[in-house]
Amino acid sequence: MPSAAEIAWLIPVLPLLGAVITGLGLISFNRTINRLRKPVAVILLSCLGAAAVLSYAVLLEQLAGAPSVEHLFIWASAGDFTLPMGYVIDPLGAVMLSLVTTIALLVMVYSHGYMAHDKGYVRFFTYLALFSSSMLGLIVSPNLLEIYVFWELVGMCSYLLVGFWYDREGAAHAAQKAFVVNRVGDFGLLLGILGLFWATGSFDFQGISSGLSQAIDLGTVPNWAALTMCLLVFMGPMAKSAQFPLHVWLPDAMEGPTPISALIHAATMVAAGVFLVARLEPLYSQFPLVGMIIAIIGTITCFLGASIALTQMDLKKGLAYSTVSQLGYMMLAMGCGAPIAGMFHLVTHAFFKAMLFLGSGSVIHAMEDVVGHEPILAQDMRLMGGLRKKMPITAITFFIGCIAISGIPPLAGFWSKDEILGQAFNTFPLLWGVGFLTAGMTAFYMFRLYFLTFEGSFRGENKDLQEQLLLASGNSSDESDHAHSPPGVLHESPWSMTLPLSILAVPSVLIGLMGTPWNSRFAALLNPEEAIEMAKTFSWGEFLPLAGASVGISSVGISIAVLGYFLNRIDLDKSVASRFPSINKFLANKWYLDDINEKLFVQGSRKLAKEVLEVDAKVVDGVVNLTGLLTLGSGEGLKYFETGRAQFYALIVFGGVIALVVLFGVLGNPPN
Amino acid sequence: MMDANLPSMAASQASFPWLSLIVLLPLAGAALMPLLPEPANKTSTAPRNLALTILLADFLIMLGVFSKVFDHAVGGLQLVERISWLPFIGLEWSLGADGISVPLVVLSGLITLLSVAASWEIRQKSRLYFTLLLLQASAQALVFLSQDFLLFFLAWELELVPVYLLIAIWGGTRRQYAATKFILFTALASLLILISGLALALNGNDFTLNLSELSNKSLDGGLGLLCYIGFLIGFGVKLPIFPLHTWLPDAHGEANAPVSMLLAGVLLKMGGYALLRFNVQMLPDIHVQLAPGLIAIGIVNVVYGALNAFAQDNVKRRIACSSVSHMGFVLLGIGAIDALGISGAMLQMISHGLIAAAMFFITGSFYDRTKTLSIPNMGGLAKVLPITFAFFLASSLASLALPGMSGFVSEISVFLGITSQEGFTSLFRSITIFLAAIGLVLTPIYLLSMCRRVFFGPRIPALAQINDMNPRELTIGLSLLIPTLVIGLWPRVAIDLYESSTNILAENLSAHSLFGVSHLLNLG
Repeated sequence: MPSAAEIAWLIPVLPLLGAVITGLGLISFNRTINRLRKPVAVILLSCLGAAAVLSYAVLLEQLAGAPSVEHLFIWASAGDFTLPMGYVIDPLGAVMLSLVTTIALLVMVYSHGYMAHDKGYVRFFTYLALFSSSMLGLIVSPNLLEIYVFWELVGMCSYLLVGFWYDREGAAHAAQKAFVVNRVGDFGLLLGILGLFWATGSFDFQGISSGLSQAIDLGTVPNWAALTMCLLVFMGPMAKSAQFPLHVWLPDAMEGPTPISALIHAATMVAAGVFLVARLEPLYSQFPLVGMIIAIIGTITCFLGASIALTQMDLKKGLAYSTVSQLGYMMLAMGCGAPIAGMFHLVTHAFFKAMLFLGSGSVIHAMEDVVGHEPILAQDMRLMGGLRKKMPITAITFFIGCIAISGIPPLAGFWSKDEILGQAFNTFPLLWGVGFLTAGMTAFYMFRLYFLTFEGSFRGENKDLQEQLLLASGNSSDESDHAHSPPGVLHESPWSMTLPLSILAVPSVLIGLMGTPWNSRFAALLNPEEAIEMAKTFSWGEFLPLAGASVGISSVGISIAVLGYFLNRIDLDKSVASRFPSINKFLANKWYLDDINEKLFVQGSRKLAKEVLEVDAKVVDGVVNLTGLLTLGSGEGLKYFETGRAQFYALIVFGGVIALVVLFGVLGNPPN
Repeated sequence: MMDANLPSMAASQASFPWLSLIVLLPLAGAALMPLLPEPANKTSTAPRNLALTILLADFLIMLGVFSKVFDHAVGGLQLVERISWLPFIGLEWSLGADGISVPLVVLSGLITLLSVAASWEIRQKSRLYFTLLLLQASAQALVFLSQDFLLFFLAWELELVPVYLLIAIWGGTRRQYAATKFILFTALASLLILISGLALALNGNDFTLNLSELSNKSLDGGLGLLCYIGFLIGFGVKLPIFPLHTWLPDAHGEANAPVSMLLAGVLLKMGGYALLRFNVQMLPDIHVQLAPGLIAIGIVNVVYGALNAFAQDNVKRRIACSSVSHMGFVLLGIGAIDALGISGAMLQMISHGLIAAAMFFITGSFYDRTKTLSIPNMGGLAKVLPITFAFFLASSLASLALPGMSGFVSEISVFLGITSQEGFTSLFRSITIFLAAIGLVLTPIYLLSMCRRVFFGPRIPALAQINDMNPRELTIGLSLLIPTLVIGLWPRVAIDLYESSTNILAENLSAHSLFGVSHLLNLG
């Protein structure tokens, strides 16, 4: 019996097969396949389920200490260049495989309920399977070029899924923005890959890092060039993992269906950047300066996301900025040279953030029955409130998620975030300060979300407020054909939605215990030596003050949220927002980054293109046309040309042939 | 004396003139066309069916011959046929195929066949229309297969006539202008090709028109350089290279969709093919010296074409400008003067042929239904035409070099080819790659914004009652996209066809050391 790692190539291939079958069906027999919802769901679920089972087997093997497995084949070649592709199974990959298949499977089950009324149900499932396949392929990639391949493919799936509701203008813009911003990152990634290939002649992670240090020692590659290449490669993760200033696409991407926000834009794809940095750890660890830049970018992102999340009124957007902020934490860990801490936060965050997003989806699903299929209304917390009584499972799981992300022990977020902060404290104390402050902000905005949504009284039937919100968004209700569905009543979501929520609650509570600093089983899997080292140097004297401080600031954040939004003892609007209007405006406008982006890049590129086209039409075309006319003897030639095109043309062809004959005659040298 | 220079020829001398059959079969079909009974009404489908049958047979013969009789492991010419035709001017019916011609012959066979299938609804002067398409098929196969300069030139010229007429008779409102511009550009370029070719043929002691023998001539710097530039401009018009590209948006804007498929899928490839056959194979020492210049033009093509595309408001003109941008990668690959780069250039031609044809075909398919190509006037098409949307999006993604599609493999090969070319300085390579990669950012901007403005958004009420792609259109679309996917997933399918030939080209180039451009300027 072969080991699971030997057949691990099936993990990405199985969902791909499912996607190809249903995809071809959709193209050729659109109507029939669209009616076959159950069979399609069963096929794709079993493909993904099998991949999940295999992933668990692989993870168990790795836990039992099995060696890494790598299989390669020649994908393309030219001259003496060969490009190998294949797959690699190692502890890092095994963890990610299990994580991605688990969440993808749960999201698929959830989607069965969430998308039940959508005409694109089958298409949605096909995209989901396609995404899972690409993401799993990315994880098992043994070299940078193969990573790039799947990197772009997950980007494409994200594009398709953000633009899933293609009749919504917002979705169309968001999808395009997501793709283009990610292409900007990929631009750097590709240049970096090519540069590293130039320097080391290799694409695989080990070869690159050892080759580059050799090349620097030999002096063939100057240090600044190596630094540049590392930073160029980092542009890829910056875009994919929504790091400042390339994070602008992620909040907009919330236009996609909520299960997608949970799977792609919270748990898996956006974590790919962090994963890639972890893969490149041997490379980055050679350059402390690169680490510092990564850490600084991570910290800025972390603070920026949390600060914008403070004022968001859109439930999903609030969660999106929270994701940006948490991804910043992970990058901070990577920059501190603590990939294990970063990866651990990636894992814990994936579970609780997926749960939070699915919870928000459950809320939106319920809200749509009251306010109609209009995202501006269904996602606005000003219209929510008091939902806990109507949808208890959603509320409880959302509450667990809030505690977990706020870093209250013993839930998952505490252990992972605390480890990052501990690492930062030792490496970059200043950055720790910002991260510490952000922890408090996180606790505040998460509980603000919870209280506004689930506590108090329901505000959804307020028609005036609805009109007001629609007007503010520049979208009157008459334009949208969705808004007319009859108002229903709030209800808890069907089992297919609440089951994944309940399942995700378990790891959100418990998974952190895998990574306690005195006995981290997570570290033992990824890097056994470091785990022993960690356990040895662990001291309660160091741990308790830091952990205590983190819990303390989170408690402060939670308390303010309780006072402001649950007990209504303080009016934050009056006491804070109106006292510092400029800060409030700055945050509400998302640090003006979208406006800068729009003015500088979008308008700028449009203007440039217009000018280039003008030049093309007037100058380039003009010059070439003019020379054409001159050779014809100006106007006379043109007239002749207009009347007798064919003759003129024949003249040239046969003139050429006659010239040929004459030439031979003159030369008197007929060939034999 | 003649055969002594062709070691591979005797070995693979075909007993049956397969290549002549491939070239002449469509011509024979065209000759049959006038024999068809005069159509009683305007709905006669006989010309179309005849053309379809002939081209399908031709395509199947190509597949059979190039998979069974042709040996891909051999880099040199195979299936060679040489018959003296007009001895007093040295014209020979000389055909031969190698790895560079075979993929392009098959590509042009496929595109022409699909173009006839896309012309299903053509009713106006249908006999003439399909006769011209058949003539075109013969002429373009002859361009790729002829091994005699004069024959090549005749084919090159012959193939212009059908395209000219196809645009001038069946085109849009400004068809006369576009067709005239097309013929003016290409005919003048042809003169340069003729002069350069004859200069090469007459140079030295023995006169020859055979391409392989021309390759063996050694030329002194000055004349060789002039010939090279003559060829570059002559073939560059077809490719097209900046600043000779301005005929292309006009031609595409006015031609109907099947003719656009031919233009983008086959005609542009002739430029790239001829650059490889003449500039690279015959004048390797000059090519090596001028390669940096070619790369510079290639970068201009990539970036300038993309910016132009972004500003175009007409779907077909936008795709036409994107062709300018994508063909820039062919120039970059040829300029990289190594195996990887040339392989990338070859693959880019194949890939672009498939993808651009697909985009033009799908554009034509929804143009038939919406009767507009103006991007600002469209929107929300996806709601009524979901399958068309899927196809258009898929080909757009292929065009922006999404991995898993052929465009990615070719563009990455070109990038790697330039990266690993030790003959250039590191600075030159860095700048080249940086600038060319800007194209990678611009491509999704203009393609996806077009998709968004045409297909996304709320439904337009005026378009309520139109039908999506029918099975015939589905088949054509799939016939173009499936090869794109297959090559993208398993590029060896295509690379194996030409690799031994492009490797020979690259070895030949690397034999000529890089003197740099300064040496070349000392013409005296």
